[in-house]
Amino acid sequence: MSPSDVPGFWESWFLWRDPLAVAIIAAALCSFVGVYIVLKRIVFVSAAMSQASGVGVAMAFMLCSIVGVDPHHAPLYLHPVPWAILLAAVVAQIFSGNLGNRRLSGESVIGIVYLVAAACVIMILNSPRVTQEAHEVNDLLYGNAVAVPPEQLYIMSAAAIVVAVVHGLFGKEFVFTAFDPEMARTLGLRTKLWSLVLFVTFAVAISVSTRAIGALPVFAFTVIPPAAALIIGSRMWSVFAISIVIGVVSAFIGYYVSFHWSLPTGASMVIVAAAFLAATMPGRFLSKGRR
Amino acid sequence: MSLVELAGVEVGYHGVPVLPPVQMTIDKGAAIGIVGPNGSGKTTLVRTMLDLLPPVRGTIKFPSGRRPRFGYVPQRASVDVSFPLTAYEVALMGRYGLTKPGRRPGKQDIERTRAALADVGATELSPRPFHALSGGQRQRVLVARALACEPEILVLDEPTTGLDLPSEHSMLMLLRSFATRGIAIVLISHQLGAVADHVEQLVVVAGIEHPVAVGSRAELLTSERLTKIYDRPIAVRSFDEHSVIFVEHDK
Repeated sequence: MSPSDVPGFWESWFLWRDPLAVAIIAAALCSFVGVYIVLKRIVFVSAAMSQASGVGVAMAFMLCSIVGVDPHHAPLYLHPVPWAILLAAVVAQIFSGNLGNRRLSGESVIGIVYLVAAACVIMILNSPRVTQEAHEVNDLLYGNAVAVPPEQLYIMSAAAIVVAVVHGLFGKEFVFTAFDPEMARTLGLRTKLWSLVLFVTFAVAISVSTRAIGALPVFAFTVIPPAAALIIGSRMWSVFAISIVIGVVSAFIGYYVSFHWSLPTGASMVIVAAAFLAATMPGRFLSKGRR
Repeated sequence: MSLVELAGVEVGYHGVPVLPPVQMTIDKGAAIGIVGPNGSGKTTLVRTMLDLLPPVRGTIKFPSGRRPRFGYVPQRASVDVSFPLTAYEVALMGRYGLTKPGRRPGKQDIERTRAALADVGATELSPRPFHALSGGQRQRVLVARALACEPEILVLDEPTTGLDLPSEHSMLMLLRSFATRGIAIVLISHQLGAVADHVEQLVVVAGIEHPVAVGSRAELLTSERLTKIYDRPIAVRSFDEHSVIFVEHDK
């Protein structure tokens, strides 16, 4: 389809309203939690959690098949979303501990979880019980970003509100625990608990967003906007704000570009976010000059 | 008044002690130097006192019936400077242990933090990014953070590493002034000479094979003791009321 064949973007707002709203909320959420992920130097956590939540979705479908329940009308305990969050939360529990040790680095632990989770997804999707629905499961696992059911918007909004409230209340505990866990422990903060809560918010943000817009843009939004924001922001609050703005604008422009030129939506968002990161690079040199 | 008592406490990792049993006390207002070669177990001993590591054997006693408030200044290299925090925000963290979860620091926390920054002569550093400070300035801010929690015991891990001579001296003089306010100071250093003049009591650790020596400067700062501990010929000289400690050349 050439650009001239595409109906006007604004005229067809009813087509993109919900998918774009979901993409924008997901981008804002991932760009927000991504600041911690980048600061803690654990960027592959996002990829591992996406895969883990994928295992949850695949398991939900498998269980529905075993129990004989239609997965589209599954009760809550067999619904893919709680299973995706549960599996991502289990991974959050693993990652929230002291990642790695002298013999095995944190990156290795993350890589192992990613590989095992990816293998589990492939195994489950190739099981005869789920094969028929594999295509649909794949959409659920890695998102679509073009067509989203209305419930997706509610789930995405609820996840964003929960994460925002938790971070609004406990932001100082999260920052202190991430910045200097030993001092925090010395002062009586329950660092293991706060670290777990922080990682569970990552799990919620990543698992719900992956279902909505796909693993690639989620991974990108948890890394690229925070990285750009850390280059040009000088305070925690400004870094969070810049990261969210870059994430949201990238989602919008990426969606527009994808709509107009019939390009893959997730990849378009990633490229736009990367362009923002490239644009901040001069800021890095300028700020170096100021120091 | 004794704040902390270690009676035969063994410290280490995964049940394996790295030091022989330790007998020592930390009194109110004491100035203690924990010294020893690199990798000798100094930090492990202090991390156990701070409850960051469980003791391998024995228990740490708190005669007052409660754990005293510790202000901890970790090695500067262990503090992540990639966080976009100002010096004031770093110092304010010292109050987070006294602020309930979900609550923002109040007026008293802000005042106490400003006072701590003033105490270490870092008021003018408050708005500056922590990562943009020099090594000595960062060290002052970290000390301010530890002071902000109104500690009974201030523990500093290698506080003079990487500092130039004047900065090292002013840092040690500053720490000595806290002891006069009733705050117990525990300095960990591999630079025996640097801390010896600024503490009253020394704890010399040298790994599992050597007993932990605890005593006054006069008792421990002798050539015989240090030569035995370090297994090298060590000379101790007094110059203008300062101790000068050095390894003697092979003759």
